[in-house]
Amino acid sequence: MRVLLRIVFLVLLGAFSVCAQNKELLYDFYEIPQALMLNPGVKTPQKWHVGVPIISGLSFQGATSGVTVNDLFANDGIDFTTKVQERLLDVMTRKDDFSTTSQIEGITVGFRGKNRPDDYYSFGMYGETDIIAYWPKDLAILAFEGNGGANLGRRFNLGDVNVRGEMINVFHFGINRKMGNDLTIGARAKLYSSVFQFQSIKNKGSFTTTQGQDNIYVSALDADLQLQTAGVRGFYDIVDEDTSTTQKDLTSLFTERVLLGGNLGLGFDAGFSYQLSPQTTLTASVLDVGFIYNSKDVWNYTLKGNASTEGITVYLPEDINNLNNDLWQELLDDIEADLPYGENTSGYISFRPVKAYGSIRYDFGEGGNSLMDNCGCGVNAGGGSNTGMYRNSVGGQLFMMKRPRGVQAALTGFYQRRFGRVLALKTTYTVDKYSFSNIGLGLNLQAGPVNFYVMGDNLLSYRNLADSHYLSLQFGFNIISWNDN
Amino acid sequence: MKKRIDLMLLVTACAFLLFSCTEEQNFDQIDDLTVTPTLATPLFYVESDEQTINNSVTTTTFYTQTVDFEVFSETYVAERLLEGTITYAIDNTTSKNLFLTIEFLDASGNVLDVESFNIEANLSETFIREVVYGPGGKSLDILTATTQLRITATNLGNTTSTSTNADPKIELGSAAEFLFQLK
Repeated sequence: MRVLLRIVFLVLLGAFSVCAQNKELLYDFYEIPQALMLNPGVKTPQKWHVGVPIISGLSFQGATSGVTVNDLFANDGIDFTTKVQERLLDVMTRKDDFSTTSQIEGITVGFRGKNRPDDYYSFGMYGETDIIAYWPKDLAILAFEGNGGANLGRRFNLGDVNVRGEMINVFHFGINRKMGNDLTIGARAKLYSSVFQFQSIKNKGSFTTTQGQDNIYVSALDADLQLQTAGVRGFYDIVDEDTSTTQKDLTSLFTERVLLGGNLGLGFDAGFSYQLSPQTTLTASVLDVGFIYNSKDVWNYTLKGNASTEGITVYLPEDINNLNNDLWQELLDDIEADLPYGENTSGYISFRPVKAYGSIRYDFGEGGNSLMDNCGCGVNAGGGSNTGMYRNSVGGQLFMMKRPRGVQAALTGFYQRRFGRVLALKTTYTVDKYSFSNIGLGLNLQAGPVNFYVMGDNLLSYRNLADSHYLSLQFGFNIISWNDN
Repeated sequence: MKKRIDLMLLVTACAFLLFSCTEEQNFDQIDDLTVTPTLATPLFYVESDEQTINNSVTTTTFYTQTVDFEVFSETYVAERLLEGTITYAIDNTTSKNLFLTIEFLDASGNVLDVESFNIEANLSETFIREVVYGPGGKSLDILTATTQLRITATNLGNTTSTSTNADPKIELGSAAEFLFQLK
């Protein structure tokens, strides 16, 4: 239980900061229906599938590219403030982030067209929470060290504030079509129903204290900051009221937002699988090309302007008759006027974090005629191809994701082994900004019509979970009927 | 089927829990965190040309002004102030010897402390004085009780001479650099 609690803590730690959504183990693992969600053009050997509601696809990821829980909270006898200084402030950069992503699949159904057996249709609904926060290095240093001493003259970059998060429910419908013996393509339309969204990603400005023109110092603040929120205020108001119906009101609002009662958006996925040769397959997909138009329950907060001060200034003879003793308050008022804080309810568009996958797979080790009985080869393999009969696959994958500060990429090498029709294993080695030692293992088990899969990333970090930069866990249950033609 | 699903779920959960571990963590350490930034800020700047000094005919005090100054007496600041320094920088290119005072006043107008400066005429370089508050220096209570400053400038010379320096004037600048304990 303690271990479980710590896993939860790590995920929550990520939630306070962000995310890595790479699902390299699931990608192109076509025995698992959820692989369709990562590439609508993946090979589909199923006749139909139905996910067990709520537990057909669960995935949780937490990541930190900088400090780990163990770095700070290990019971090592080192002064905590020293650890914060040496392991956080001195080491982490504005490119480091904390992130968390979770997905819960509510419904997933797929079936092959009766009249068009080359088409595989799938639809469903899933919820997704994605939060990412970059380390606000300069502001952290300002808070811990201040603008005095060695920091005089330093330009504190207010643009270091960069955070984004959202919770959405996604309704989707996809078509997977075999275009020929070598090519399968697919696309998926998505309707996003936002529960909440917030972002503060286009901040600019600086704060400096330097030698003044007249006085000893001049402090200058140039700010162009904005926090956009949609759907947050509604929940906040309910909690703030704290009435006897708070729980019920929260549930009601959440349900309404999940079921298309909040801000809506549109998006699509697309992908393909192409057999370069009977044993070599190329795949690629692009996911979540879409946006949400946030017009309901919008509250935006802005701070824009610039001000500089050398303190209270008196110039004689100009000010000789100014006997006002409120000069300090006037100074503060002037600064406030130069840096107006604002609130507005203007709608805004938030773009979904676009993701892209690509892979090349080489199959080898023919397994004989009983290896993949009922694998669906009749539909999705052909032209001499006997992909389903290969026991082994090896290849590489590339993952890219659009983040507020650019594209995050991950490179994966994998090996997959099939043990008859019952069991398939996939192991991966992934390199990305979070880890250079990410070894993952995925297992797919087919027990009659029941399909179960479980996948875990960064297994080496399980030796000390608290010291992990990246954790990921996915699992789910499906009922599958395999093609029998 | 339900039993089979339950069993597989249980096996999976057990596998992850059995093969995972973590070193002992102490989250109470966060209570030991100390955050003590050094904040620097300009305070006030007074400048007068020589002509204004010469034109002051009523008394030898050519400038006096009392201003509200509650920077350090704000509760949030006063409770967290650890130590610090106020720096004064004075340039005098006029032909007058001058006497400057900065009085720290409490809410009742009582003088808590006085900083005074005898400034020679035609200073060749900036006069700097650093006044330390806190351990080894003046009491921090002076600052935390100060709500007003009274700045007074007195001419110790005549009202007729004129410096040969270009744009002769007296400049009094000040800045503070203080250590706060935010946590």
